[in-house]
Amino acid sequence: MLEVKRLSKYFGGLAAVNELDLKVDQSEILGLIGPNGAGKTTFFNMVSGFFPPTSGQVFFKDRDISRFKAHDIAQLGIGRTFQSSTLFMKLSVLDNVLTGYHMSYRTGFLKRILHSPSARKEERRFREKALEILEFMGIGSLRNELAANLPHGYQRILGISMALATDPKLLLLDEPATGMNANETRTLISLIRQIQNRGITIILVEHDMKAVMDLSDRIVVLNFGKKIAEGLPSEIKENREVIEAYLGKEEEAPLDAA
Amino acid sequence: MRAGKFICIIIVIVILMLLPLVVRNPYYIHLLIMVGINAVLAMTFILMLRTGLISLGIAAFWGIGAYTSALLSENAGLPVWLCFPSAAIITGIVAIIVGAFLVKQGGFGFIIQTLAFGFIIVLIFGTFEVFGGHVGIVDIPRPEPILIPYVGSIEFSFISKTPYYYLMLFLVLLMTLTLTAFYTAWAGSAWRAIGLSAYLAESLGINLFRYRLLAFVIASTVAGLMGSFYAHYYVSLVPASFGPFKTIYVHVYAILGGINSPIMGPIIGSLIMTFVPEFLRVTEGVEPIFTGILIILLILFLPSGLLGLTRLWQGRGKPHEDAAQPSP
Amino acid sequence: MSVFIQLIVDGLAMGLVYVLLASGFNLIIGISRILFIAYGEFYMLGAWIIWGLMIPLKIPFFFALLVATLGPAVLGAIVYQLIFRYIQFKEQQLLTNIVAAMGLMLLMSQATLFIVGTESRGIPSVIRGIIDVGGVRISYEKVVLIALTLAVLIGLHVFLQKSKIGRSMRAVSFNPDVAALQGVNANLVYLGTVAVGCALAGFAGGLMAPVFAVSPKMGGVTLLIILVVMLGGVGSMPGAILSGLILGMTLSFGQYFLESGVAQIIFFVVIAVILFIRPGGLFGQAEQIPLQ
Repeated sequence: MLEVKRLSKYFGGLAAVNELDLKVDQSEILGLIGPNGAGKTTFFNMVSGFFPPTSGQVFFKDRDISRFKAHDIAQLGIGRTFQSSTLFMKLSVLDNVLTGYHMSYRTGFLKRILHSPSARKEERRFREKALEILEFMGIGSLRNELAANLPHGYQRILGISMALATDPKLLLLDEPATGMNANETRTLISLIRQIQNRGITIILVEHDMKAVMDLSDRIVVLNFGKKIAEGLPSEIKENREVIEAYLGKEEEAPLDAA
Repeated sequence: MRAGKFICIIIVIVILMLLPLVVRNPYYIHLLIMVGINAVLAMTFILMLRTGLISLGIAAFWGIGAYTSALLSENAGLPVWLCFPSAAIITGIVAIIVGAFLVKQGGFGFIIQTLAFGFIIVLIFGTFEVFGGHVGIVDIPRPEPILIPYVGSIEFSFISKTPYYYLMLFLVLLMTLTLTAFYTAWAGSAWRAIGLSAYLAESLGINLFRYRLLAFVIASTVAGLMGSFYAHYYVSLVPASFGPFKTIYVHVYAILGGINSPIMGPIIGSLIMTFVPEFLRVTEGVEPIFTGILIILLILFLPSGLLGLTRLWQGRGKPHEDAAQPSP
Repeated sequence: MSVFIQLIVDGLAMGLVYVLLASGFNLIIGISRILFIAYGEFYMLGAWIIWGLMIPLKIPFFFALLVATLGPAVLGAIVYQLIFRYIQFKEQQLLTNIVAAMGLMLLMSQATLFIVGTESRGIPSVIRGIIDVGGVRISYEKVVLIALTLAVLIGLHVFLQKSKIGRSMRAVSFNPDVAALQGVNANLVYLGTVAVGCALAGFAGGLMAPVFAVSPKMGGVTLLIILVVMLGGVGSMPGAILSGLILGMTLSFGQYFLESGVAQIIFFVVIAVILFIRPGGLFGQAEQIPLQ
């Protein structure tokens, strides 16, 4: 589904991502882990079109999207969340998700301006679908609440809901469990599994080791922008290099807490 | 729209239509007409502002519409009623071409270049003979009289100011409706999204450039239409009126009213800025000094404008009129 | 041939003044993040200070020049402290900065018109005499002008690159938060930058005063500065140097061969073409200040 070949991103002389080769298969959940600054978010930014790669290529469904712009990539079917709670804070939860339906409009330009019946019908349909997503994610009751007023955990969920509205084939989740307690994380894990069951491929960047080990079909480990390990969760747990990479940074939870 | 609000608006419109029967002094009619023009210009400013575009070239497009219309009617002999839409369309085309270049620039570049564009347009109007040089154009044809059939021969001829007032009213209403239609449609929600968080909007598939350009072109076309009206109302044009100085005033109308209200804010701001100096008997030379001070005070103490104040006080917000809740 | 050299000298002299102005403007944009539309007014202020000190008060030029430099700097600092300081760290900073600067421009330009009237005044040449360089006659005035502006520009460059204050200024322009962590007082840097920028404007105005007439409409130079900055790339010093010189040369040669108005239009056309090819300006890739 997604393939990345010798992907690199240099900022000045510093390599944030260094000759990365990666493959993600359809309907799998790929866990992407590594200490802070390992290049995970930069990787996401390149795949989703926010940064152009310095060198290397990104293939989505066998199509070279390396130089595509972010909105085109979104329309091709890659959705993402952001590390900090990037939401439309001043809008309601429902309005936030509705924005995700933007590129799905079929009614013509003129009809939309004139608020023709077909335009309104389409808007009703999107509204229904948005509510569906909200229900699925468990925040249906919060639909009219202002995004800024949501507790942090729900904000992360809202972020995922918005990405889902774009009907993605590939979903990039950037540390969705940040700031969540154990309960919320459990709910999140189950939600992500259900998303996978709907046929959506997922790349999950996460620091919560339990979540990553639980969910991922495969794991790739990055450090200093390079891939240092790849394999099944059980293999990664034992991998010497990975453990060292983590022990080298005190803020990371040691792997065997998973 | 709620019934109550709808009725209010109808009442206001009726009052506005009956106003000339009460207000006899043509000077005040003139002021009202200018309020209308300025209000619409301020609306175009807010339209662009919401998508993150701070345009310093609004008066330039106002001018392009005005000069185009004047030339079309004087030199090309086009009937004035045809000039209005033609000038608007031509302004729109210029906006597409210029806008495609300007909008690509990114925040700062856009601002600087619209400022430069604003100055350059004035220079062009002032230099070339076809535009009348710095003397400008005089004796622009007025709109042809409208005959209303069936009701005897009532003729609307545009000699006095009153018929212009009604035309202005009509245009303002038309523009307000058009802008509102855009705001409440999908374009409006895209603009709102871009304004709130451009990155997020992009990740949801919204093409920033396209929507910003759309806002720019609509805003400029509307400004051009108002320019066209102005040309045939004021009957003479001077290049200096269309420079960044004017744009500054347009910004003030918008900010005074409150940039969170795309329709009411400009109307209120424009109303106050036009009439208050009148009542305070401020002389022309000194007025810009006061305006300059006012701008600074406004920015420091009342950045959300007057409507921002009332909204704060009432603690409410309307989903479409203002996409963003004002910050305290 | 000698005419050619004279035109070059003229172009150099004018160009360097524009480089000065563009540098100051760039500093304020790049570091303090203010599109300081009132900048031209400070240039004009410098010129009027020279006039005011030399004609009625008969104060010698170089002393007046000092005041013409410091005066605008002080005014700029006051204006920053009273107005811009409160806006810098708030929401919608870009818009409010611009509008505040526009308000300031209105205020200053109208106040000047009010105080001095609409007439231009002249200042007799300060430095008389002509030197003869291999058959070409160049006035001392221009030589001194060129020498002074070069000196100031070099001094500015050294200041920004080497001195501690200069380096903190550059740090703040890249990343105010990180700079703050290193103990740099961002507000002080913003304040200082505006002061330095306005000082440069006043200095340029003071230098130009004896060369051209002093008019209450001098604030209009802002447009040219903006164009120079656009051409060179917003925030780029080398760009400012190159495009300032281009403007100087274009005006010098243009005014000689064509009418003065046409020379300006040629400059605009040149800019338009260059910007079309390289939208960021000559040394483009202006820092992408994101719209959000």
